[in-house]
Amino acid sequence: MQEFISHNLADTEKIAQALLSSLAARLDSAKRGKSILALSGNLGAGKTTFVKFLAKALGLEENITSPTFVLLKAYDIDFADFKKFIHVDCYRLDAKEDLADIGLQDYVADASNLVLIEWADKINNLPQQKVLNIKIEILGETSRRFIIS
Amino acid sequence: MRVLAIESSCDETALAVISGSGSAWLLEKNAVFSQIAIHQKFGGVVPEVAARKHAETIIPLLTETLGENKLSEIDYLAVTAGPGLITSLLLGVTAAKTLAYASQKPLLPVNHMEGHIYSNWLSNEDLRKNDKIYFPSLALVVSGGHTELVLMKGHGDYQLLGTTLDDAVGEAFDKVAKILNLGYPGGPIVSKLALEGDENFYDLPRPMLNSGDYNFSFSGLKTAVLYTLEKEKNITQVAVKNMCASFQAVAVEILVKKTIKASKEFQVRSVLLAGGVAANQKLKTDLKAVCEKNNLPFFFPELKYTGDNAAMIAAAAYYKLQASSNEALVNKNIFSLSVKSNWQIFNK
Repeated sequence: MQEFISHNLADTEKIAQALLSSLAARLDSAKRGKSILALSGNLGAGKTTFVKFLAKALGLEENITSPTFVLLKAYDIDFADFKKFIHVDCYRLDAKEDLADIGLQDYVADASNLVLIEWADKINNLPQQKVLNIKIEILGETSRRFIIS
Repeated sequence: MRVLAIESSCDETALAVISGSGSAWLLEKNAVFSQIAIHQKFGGVVPEVAARKHAETIIPLLTETLGENKLSEIDYLAVTAGPGLITSLLLGVTAAKTLAYASQKPLLPVNHMEGHIYSNWLSNEDLRKNDKIYFPSLALVVSGGHTELVLMKGHGDYQLLGTTLDDAVGEAFDKVAKILNLGYPGGPIVSKLALEGDENFYDLPRPMLNSGDYNFSFSGLKTAVLYTLEKEKNITQVAVKNMCASFQAVAVEILVKKTIKASKEFQVRSVLLAGGVAANQKLKTDLKAVCEKNNLPFFFPELKYTGDNAAMIAAAAYYKLQASSNEALVNKNIFSLSVKSNWQIFNK
């Protein structure tokens, strides 16, 4: 488990960059084979902001908009071994769903997809060996704690 | 020409038939099976439940709409191919492909948001008869998944002027409803409570209002609602109503101001409102007032066409099929059609 404190947007951007480069370099065993980022945090914690910084660090020029309504959006990327960035938001799901039910199974099975899932606790059968959990906690108006495990 | 359209992009299964020639056409049939009651108890859409319901309802709905004759008097099929929930879209697209191939009719994929724009043609006779004098038109497309300003230069000719950079305005309404524990779908509930609230009570930020472009941002506004309420010791019914009113006023103000600014810069000859949030009374009233002030004809869809329906898909298909080179798929090419869950109307 790693913890980072962000005091402002610049810090958050650095955390996003560092996370991706360690993921790409597979520096530590904890990040080997990880292709699913499970992002959690309350409404207003800054999930949208963090995802935007991730996308920027991935070299995506397109603007990342909320996938809440359509559940997932896919973007082409060229970052380390990843060819696609899949942004999933399970906010609208209220029951516990299976991956296949929301059409996510094929995306998750392909290791060249970097899959970021918001509100991942609403999915039943994520392959945990591929999951890296990122939790954002609100400390104050602009400060946040990032817990990566 | 008679067109059958199928729509299943989210939680409604719908079929419609339009027939006619040129600007003289008629909506013959329009059937919608809504799943809102089913999803209400979950507080949101459950994709697997939605898809299963689409599968159950689509064939009985087809028999109900077309009778036993089914497809014999249909010239073209049209189907919503995106954007929307993948699992839901798949049902409608698969049904349409199967029907089109089996009956040897051409199949036209239609963009759901383009359908919403054409709900204005269903609702306004003047627009239907004289649309040439209203182009170029500016469409404000607002729904749970979209917030876009689109310049429409003619039928099927679109240019995106601006879009939300994060959440759609309908999503912001839904999330504010969730923060306030008001239920699903949140938009109508927030608007209803707003009627009894003071819209000047809370001073909320107006994100991107003066950004100089036509983009929007609603994620921060939702967060501001959350933080503002957290400062209150106990949240009374009155506070909830005041927050609904204050939030709605800010959201509408941003939409109206950007729309009018764009209408001037691009010298449009009319403004169209489209999408699920077109049901919002305050948005309609405020936009209408400011359009009148600027001598701009303003069109909005009838309430029954603001939600997802197949009539609007049939109308969009009808106009697309009038074009000299229509994009309908025939024979084996029908199978090349795949679901495009993030399809934007200005992209082919």
